[in-house]
Amino acid sequence: MNKRKLPLLLYGGAATAFFVFSLIQLNLDYGKLLEGAEKFARTASLMVPPDASQWKYVLAAAAESVQVAILGTVLAIAAAFFLAFLAAENITPHPAVAWAVRGAASLLRAIPTLIWALIFIVAVGMGPLPGVLAIMVGAVGSLVKVFAQSLEEVDGGVIEALRSTGAGWLAIVIQGVLPCALSALLAWCVMRFEGDLAESTILGAVGAGGIGFELSHAMRSYKFDQALFVGIVIFVMVFSVELVSNRLKLSMRKRA
Amino acid sequence: MSELQRQQMQRIRRAKRTQTIVFFVLLAGLTLWSAAGTGFYPSALWNGIGDGARFLFVDLLPPDASKFPGLIEPALDTIYMSFVAMFVGSLIAGFLSIFAAATTSPNSALRIAMRGLSAMLRNIPVIIWTILLVASFGLGNLVGTLSLLIVSVGMLVRCYAESLEEIDMGQVEALRAAGAGYWAVLTQAVLPQFLPSFIGWSLFNLEINVRASTIVGMVGGGGLGFAIQSGIKLFQYKEVSMAVLLVLIIVLGTEFLTSRVRERLI
Repeated sequence: MNKRKLPLLLYGGAATAFFVFSLIQLNLDYGKLLEGAEKFARTASLMVPPDASQWKYVLAAAAESVQVAILGTVLAIAAAFFLAFLAAENITPHPAVAWAVRGAASLLRAIPTLIWALIFIVAVGMGPLPGVLAIMVGAVGSLVKVFAQSLEEVDGGVIEALRSTGAGWLAIVIQGVLPCALSALLAWCVMRFEGDLAESTILGAVGAGGIGFELSHAMRSYKFDQALFVGIVIFVMVFSVELVSNRLKLSMRKRA
Repeated sequence: MSELQRQQMQRIRRAKRTQTIVFFVLLAGLTLWSAAGTGFYPSALWNGIGDGARFLFVDLLPPDASKFPGLIEPALDTIYMSFVAMFVGSLIAGFLSIFAAATTSPNSALRIAMRGLSAMLRNIPVIIWTILLVASFGLGNLVGTLSLLIVSVGMLVRCYAESLEEIDMGQVEALRAAGAGYWAVLTQAVLPQFLPSFIGWSLFNLEINVRASTIVGMVGGGGLGFAIQSGIKLFQYKEVSMAVLLVLIIVLGTEFLTSRVRERLI
């Protein structure tokens, strides 16, 4: 037994033990698993062929989801862009500011978007607005972190050189840091939009507008064939963004 | 620099500038379209954030600590569900990804089928799976675990397969040249190289599952999400904030733990 394998086995054993413990604690009803699978097969057979007769409403709701995602992401990018300069250790005006901004961002990030949506629904009412706000708050949390990381990766020599010429803080940021980090920041924005679009499709399930509402509505009224159509639309939305963002990431990597 | 080169440089620079302008105009147009479609106007942002903050600080905070004992069970369920989904998901996906990676797949049709399957599983959000499954499996932990498992498999097959495709093929070739069979190559050359990324992606998946498991409850998947949803419906906001606090602790705690394990093992 070599040195590398021992901790591996130890962790593996601990993981297996915790898995068994979790299964016991969850006390899942395995009889229901079979029964449910049968029932799901029946439901699935009711789903085909998908019923696209409500396409007008479904596509309008899909467009609303896309709009919520775009608006939330754009607002978040604008906010995170400024906050990141305060949060990055190499260019922050003061370390305490960086620490505070980072802490706030990790709080925003740790609370799932759907919970933010529930909070904003109670605060501002139903509709797309709580969705936009929830997406924005969640995205600010994650963008500040990754933006700050990219800014910290900027070569210290660049900043040093500018500072030695007597450049002020703003000049250092605009002339030195920004050009170096720009392509990384753009890549993060694209990745964030990919995540936000997926989030925005589900916001409707709790009443924040968009296509998620159409799905839970169809399932609740036992219109399984309509639900499948909505499901397909959601899949196409999320998947096409994944494809486009993969393309963009590749081309950015080539340029970098 | 010759006159010709200078002209060329200028042309490239101009083209790049036009590209940037087109991009930003497009972005501004999309943003305006979205604002119009959602009935959004700048003042709504301030009012919304103001209302949100007021609700947060007046109605939600401080959390009611006396509700804590009742929330322990859903909180633990949340952890158990995400761990079980990660564990079973990594086993299933570890097996399936062998067929999904170009380097290890015995058959290219099988590879494309696997990729398609995993794309389908992961590109339907976890909440949507819960909504679809709740009708057949009923409310509770089972449906939460199942939907987490489905999305875990979808995500992990893709990540594992990408790692499998990045392994050093030299070792594989060497074993193959020595006359080793498919399974011998897999276990002797592929698996040892693959193990670190296997662990890394599985830990990442656990983080994602923990996040997701707190929300599958909102549509009937059990755990903390259910407590939050029902608390909001009953206007028990102090209980909701206690549950959100637990979500926060669980999510941050998992991130801390996984990063420790990652440091030790990889």
